[in-house]
Amino acid sequence: MASGPTLHPAAALAAAVLPGAGYLVLGHPARALGAFAGIMVLFAGGLFIGGIDAVDSKEDKIWFYGQALVGPIAFGVDYAHQNVFKAIDPDTNTLRTGYPNETQARDDTGRRVWRELTDEEIAQGMGPPNTKGVGRMNEIGQLSCTLAGMMNLIVFLDALFPAAWSRPRSKGDA
Amino acid sequence: MPTLAWTPFIDPIDANSVWYLLLIPIAIGISLAFKAVRVGDMKKYPKHVAMMTAQIITGIVVLAIASFIVIDTLIPLLTPMPAP
Repeated sequence: MASGPTLHPAAALAAAVLPGAGYLVLGHPARALGAFAGIMVLFAGGLFIGGIDAVDSKEDKIWFYGQALVGPIAFGVDYAHQNVFKAIDPDTNTLRTGYPNETQARDDTGRRVWRELTDEEIAQGMGPPNTKGVGRMNEIGQLSCTLAGMMNLIVFLDALFPAAWSRPRSKGDA
Repeated sequence: MPTLAWTPFIDPIDANSVWYLLLIPIAIGISLAFKAVRVGDMKKYPKHVAMMTAQIITGIVVLAIASFIVIDTLIPLLTPMPAP
């Protein structure tokens, strides 16, 4: 009697926490390393190309749906982006990235707000903690991080159904 | 003190003049992850990753050439534009 694919919840849980970790639970460290390396090349590469602005759950929500599939790493990067690098515009009361002539400061209520730099501070090289990504670098950085999430979904599903993994893959073994 | 100096992974890189070369790390990353799923014998993994990376890059280059020919040659032949 033919049986369907067997679920492996422990491997799926590990895969959801760290890319490739599902294969470690299944006892395939080389495969785990390969999957982790691939997803991190895409995700870290996207951050390197587009900066931390490539991961933004508030301003680039649709892209973040794909990036979130990387797991806690993507949520951690987004948390840092929203809570460390962004601050509140005192005029519009919205959270945003700083302009090149601004720096973060605390207002009376303790909120992080943008303050305009003086000419002396600009001359000293002061500026916001990060530069907003625009144009092709932003697009390619976001795309790379989103591809990381999509590849991690494939890796996650493969760890969730290890019975499917143990079958011969295709002609030529790839 | 935050400064305007470039910080890796925080600020975007300035590679606008060579943006098309960024296809290479993306192709490598996709191949590394996909072949970790697909390859049965991990001894063949590096070879398959290299092959898939080359296939992606070649495919994109061929598509770019084809798009260029369509836009720059075929469309002007099919729908000639009046001289400015």
